Amino acid sequence: MVTVSAKRFRHLCPRNCFSTCAIISTVENGRLVRVEGDPEHGFTRGRLCAKGYAYPQLIYSRRRITVPMRQYPRGSGHWHRISWEEALTTIAAKILELKGRYGSLLSVCLNKQSGNFGYLHYAVEGMFNAMGYITRAEGNSCWSAGLDARIFDLGADRQSDPEDMALARSIVLWGVNPAWTAVHQMHFITMAREQGATLVVIDPLYTATAAQADYYIQVRPGEDGALALGVARYILERGWQDEDFLREYVLGWPEFRSYLEREVSVVWAAEKAGVAPEAVAVLAKLLAWYKPAAIWTGMGLQRHTNGGQNVRAITAPAAMTGNLGQPGGGLYYASQQTWNLLKYNARDWPPPPGATGWVLWPGVVGDGAGDGLEPVAGGGSRPVGAAGVVAGRQARAGDPGVAVGHRPVNTNDFARQVLACTDPPVKMLWVASRGLASQDPLVTSLEEAMGLMETVVLVDHFLTPTARFADIFLPATTPFEEWDVVLSYWHYWLGINQPAIAPVGESRSDLEIAMHLSAKMNELSPGSCTFPTSGSQEEWVAAEFTPEIYVLADIRDYRELLDRPRKLAWPRVSWEGGKFATPSGKYELCSEQAQKCGLPSLPVYVPPAAPSPAYPYRLLTSHQQLGINSQFLHLGWLGGSERATVLLPPGLARRLGVRSGMQVCLYNASGEVVLPAMVSRQVPEDVLLCYQGWYGPGAPEINAIVGGLMTDMGSYKTGFPAPALYDTFVNIYVL
Amino acid sequence: MSSLRWAFLLDVNKCLGCRSCEVACKNYYHLGESQRYRRVATVEWGNEGRDGLFFLSLACNHCESPECFRVCPERAYRKRRDGIVIHEARLCTGCCTCVQACPYGGPQYDADAGKVGKCNLCVGLLDQGEEPVCVRACHTEALRLLDLSNPDAVAFAAWVPGFPDTRLTHPAVRFVTSCGGDWKMGDHR
Repeated sequence: MVTVSAKRFRHLCPRNCFSTCAIISTVENGRLVRVEGDPEHGFTRGRLCAKGYAYPQLIYSRRRITVPMRQYPRGSGHWHRISWEEALTTIAAKILELKGRYGSLLSVCLNKQSGNFGYLHYAVEGMFNAMGYITRAEGNSCWSAGLDARIFDLGADRQSDPEDMALARSIVLWGVNPAWTAVHQMHFITMAREQGATLVVIDPLYTATAAQADYYIQVRPGEDGALALGVARYILERGWQDEDFLREYVLGWPEFRSYLEREVSVVWAAEKAGVAPEAVAVLAKLLAWYKPAAIWTGMGLQRHTNGGQNVRAITAPAAMTGNLGQPGGGLYYASQQTWNLLKYNARDWPPPPGATGWVLWPGVVGDGAGDGLEPVAGGGSRPVGAAGVVAGRQARAGDPGVAVGHRPVNTNDFARQVLACTDPPVKMLWVASRGLASQDPLVTSLEEAMGLMETVVLVDHFLTPTARFADIFLPATTPFEEWDVVLSYWHYWLGINQPAIAPVGESRSDLEIAMHLSAKMNELSPGSCTFPTSGSQEEWVAAEFTPEIYVLADIRDYRELLDRPRKLAWPRVSWEGGKFATPSGKYELCSEQAQKCGLPSLPVYVPPAAPSPAYPYRLLTSHQQLGINSQFLHLGWLGGSERATVLLPPGLARRLGVRSGMQVCLYNASGEVVLPAMVSRQVPEDVLLCYQGWYGPGAPEINAIVGGLMTDMGSYKTGFPAPALYDTFVNIYVL
Repeated sequence: MSSLRWAFLLDVNKCLGCRSCEVACKNYYHLGESQRYRRVATVEWGNEGRDGLFFLSLACNHCESPECFRVCPERAYRKRRDGIVIHEARLCTGCCTCVQACPYGGPQYDADAGKVGKCNLCVGLLDQGEEPVCVRACHTEALRLLDLSNPDAVAFAAWVPGFPDTRLTHPAVRFVTSCGGDWKMGDHR
């Protein structure tokens, strides 16, 4: 008889997701046999999403790469196994050779994003910080326009405890589909509804969340601002605004009021938004009379050329009705309010003395992370050169009067900006936590930029579309094979991630790769990298904890989190007492900061980008249920039966003679994509829908035709605007 | 007093179609690549200009008159007193007669194992007083267990649109539904 000794371990899902689930794994005879939710976690409550339950397949997938490999020639698909020694020597020698050739590391570029939010994964940034100054893909493709909007209005991106949404009397889910993308929140929404709360879902798509709603309002894409301004006008017409709140806590009400009276009518707003005037009335009534009202603004609606402005317009009626600073109500988006409670020990390492870097425009240094944690001073007005690259020049740290940093390129216009970097040019690229070849706007433009690179390193689990451009593949561990700590951008819970199994194959964590590469760099050129070359992963996790977070979690040692996660004693209610973080200390309907960034000071109406006769249909590329960007969807357990499809509304399908299952071609000036069609009542007329993500090897490249325009906001906080992905227009023909 | 008879109860008004139940089952039982003992179907409906959308999370329905049980040449199926239909993998030759006979897609063939498998209502967990894996994974408590011998069970619907005809096998599944009742839609163009 075989004796099985099962052991259980605690984990945190580090993906770019609201829920940041606490997971418990079961290991039998050294093999992880299953995962389940951690019932001790008050937000995720012992449940995972479908993606989370598929982790065992991710860990042991036959397609997972667990040894270092080299592709020669690049793009050929001819990969051969190499040793870590060979991989690291090749990479270190290349970095040092480029340093010799150009007198700096600016020809080395890092492109990392949100594939793993674990704090030890900031070792990638840390390792390059410790070598000197490089070229870095900065900005954020996800949420930056909405983030700036919130900062102009509120002064900081803070929000209340999402568990308290259960106390709301009205809930407005504005362009967000939590049934798919934040399923744990649906429990708290359901709780509120069972207490009699009214749920409104506003979305161009009739989503799974919309199917739950008491009221569904099908807004025209990009016209959210018009709808919100109509609501503001309706409230004003009936005198339902909270005059006390406006007088005490809001700046710019007279100006906004006069704008509403002058420029906005309910009929106009409803017409623009493509909704019945009754929809405007329902929203106004709920915000004014069914308080507290919670408004959760999604990220899709800010992926427009007027996206930031739309978010400002949506938040205005909440301020007018005083729905801020009370338990159960307020504005939800996503927030990194607790992220600075950890130390960023893995990230913050100094360059070797006298390193040569990039001089940004006067008085400004790079903010270090590009993750939107610190405002980029003067953002929105940075002098730019060719292709919008931030202007600057190469200089040595320590030169008098000179502050040097990394050379930033916009991650959302990566190919074009990298090509425009000439002095020195970019010759090496390191890609981690990132699937740029499926997720970047206009992915086909990457081809030329990648041709520039003498060496491309990809750290990943699978041969993603990005692997086509890579020379060296370094196999990464999964969360089940490493220590880590992750904080949520949504809930207040703190947990810890411990390894359950030994690394599969020869895979290593980002932190281990950083330590080993630093050792190799110093072996070849002593003093060339200040990143530590030793220390256990657990010691590195311990070093991330601060006295402040221990107090908030009411623990004395991080190891207490191995018993159960803790809820941080972070303020439950944001903006209590009407104290805002803006320059005026009030909610700023009229924002001088916005004006300084070349934007309207008031949340006025800005029309969305419009289709042209050549490309008459708007293409939306919303988030998948079974994937997070390039992650998960390609796994057989999840996407096995899924294929990339284009969803068409019935009317348009009739006009074009398209039936479900037929092959259609979507095209615009950037390229074309062939996909099977599916006729769906969930999509409004004149809109096509492809759920974005990587569907697995050989899947169509939807992003070949997506992108081109930029959002109005984003530069203030993250340094760069984001792609206006939902302002993509296409035409279609039947094959 | 009649004895316990288990059935799944799906609240169609609450099911989000999130598919946690589906993958939680795969994760727990290490199902074959193509096997999904529980599957979530999307039902879109339209009626006189009104549209609706709901989800059906369905597994083996542990029928009163199970076709799988009737047709299996190896007698690999049995039905317990509490209604649970058990498939004995050790007796299965993978002939797939049951796969073809079941109207609900309950039994599924795994090419790697060369055998059929299906939902056994987590009988091992149930016998220890625990809930099935899919029920535990449900975020909104849309999926629950129901005792059909309870007189109150008649209050639930035995059929919803999108579900196959129940007359042949009398499936032990019930629904909470108010199909088409409770939604309103913006007048979009």
